Amino acid sequence: MRWLEPLATAACVLALFGLWEAAVALGALNARIAPAPSTIAPMLVELLGRGAVLKSLGVTLKEVAAAFLISVPVGFFIGFTLAEMPGVGAVFRPLVNFLFGVPKSIFLPVFILIFGVGVEQKIAFGVFTTVFVLILGGISAVESVPRELITVARAYGASRWQVIREIYLPAMAPILMESARLGMIFNITAVLLAEIYGARDGIGYRIAGWGESLQMPQLYAALAIVATLAIAVNELLQQIENRIGAWRQRPA
Amino acid sequence: MTQPIAHSAVSVRGVTQVFTVDGQTTVALAPTDLEVPPGQFVALVGPSGCGKSTLLSLVAGLRLPTGGALLCNGEPISGPMPQRIGMIFQEANLLPWLTATENVAFPLKLRGVPKRERLEAARRMLELTGLGDFADRLPHQLSGGMKQRVSIGRGLVQDPGVLLLDEPFAALDEQTRMVLGDEVLKIWSSTGKTVLFVTHNLSEAVYLADRIIVFSARPGRIVDDVPVDLPRPRTFSMMSSERFGALKDRIWAHIRDADH
Repeated sequence: MRWLEPLATAACVLALFGLWEAAVALGALNARIAPAPSTIAPMLVELLGRGAVLKSLGVTLKEVAAAFLISVPVGFFIGFTLAEMPGVGAVFRPLVNFLFGVPKSIFLPVFILIFGVGVEQKIAFGVFTTVFVLILGGISAVESVPRELITVARAYGASRWQVIREIYLPAMAPILMESARLGMIFNITAVLLAEIYGARDGIGYRIAGWGESLQMPQLYAALAIVATLAIAVNELLQQIENRIGAWRQRPA
Repeated sequence: MTQPIAHSAVSVRGVTQVFTVDGQTTVALAPTDLEVPPGQFVALVGPSGCGKSTLLSLVAGLRLPTGGALLCNGEPISGPMPQRIGMIFQEANLLPWLTATENVAFPLKLRGVPKRERLEAARRMLELTGLGDFADRLPHQLSGGMKQRVSIGRGLVQDPGVLLLDEPFAALDEQTRMVLGDEVLKIWSSTGKTVLFVTHNLSEAVYLADRIIVFSARPGRIVDDVPVDLPRPRTFSMMSSERFGALKDRIWAHIRDADH
């Protein structure tokens, strides 16, 4: 039954929290390192009531959104160019592949030297990390367009622009959406990492502070907030992706 | 009284096609002439790489010949003429994100026909091809035969005078192939369209066509022009007749000779 499976998932999560609670109560888990859910939950409510925390969350959200809104058009544009211009592609595609494999975190000190520790540096580092996912997504989206469908459109008199609008765009949409979603995961990770590494505000900056001063309930409550937000964003993008890509589903 | 000049529906005059890939030139089509009168059902057969599909894409205006001229009703073909020439592809090639109706309406959309009007025309076409109940299905929800019916509807929706079919049933099972073949014959006999039909299947060619053009392999050229003198309507039992076998033998002899 359809509703049974999500119910079972929820039960598993609840059971896990129950186990955690019990482990702390029985002294199996050190409450100073891993405080019980019953300690974290009220802290979570308290944090969401603090203006300063909400402001930090707002800063992070703005950084994430800005980096994403820059990465998506830039990454897709570079991806389309590399896919559609064989000469340029032959030169730059290996470079993109190499750079995609390099851990971006090692460049954080460089980004601080160039941009300081403000909002701009978070956005720049977010773009730097995310854009590679979108470039590769843009390339594979273009390459996924079936040549035969372009022939069909041409045989029925499609202009160049109509081929782009009626064939390229709908054929590429699900793959573009998918890489946008993957890019967003990289993006959130990059912005938070940059905030934890060095910042003046942002939820990552707060998390780093609470961790250093061993304020565990605050730390865990913040983790729960960030995790929930990240899951929500991912689910939202996944829903859009499923809707756009409904035609890709194979018959059962 | 002066008779109007009777044009061929399709004229192929001294057409050649040469491909150059990495400095290697291949003659896909040696100088070829072919006149197809209006209303004729012509099958193009021959071994793989004999240029029959190349000729079809030239008539469709999808490429320009290296030499010679192609005409449709006396007018030069310099690009796709979707309102005069409808093309039906191997494997149906439907747009997977569009419903059956939207796929049939696609050529009208490209022409800028208003949505309501084009969807109505498409729905009528689907009723005609027996797919009325599947109008809102996506291609992946349709069987191979249904997809090819949708593709036929797409080819017919602008009521073109000439219909090009490029191995349309190659991917289908034998039964579906027979049923769709009869369907194409029905449409052809009730509309009087000119049909160019590329196929690998000799029985299919003899069963459907008025005339069979046999091609040889590289360089592709016409080696025989076989009139099919079987009566219409064609029936399944004709396929076991002596005449049917003789026609098949005549075509097979060319293909066998060409294939070494």
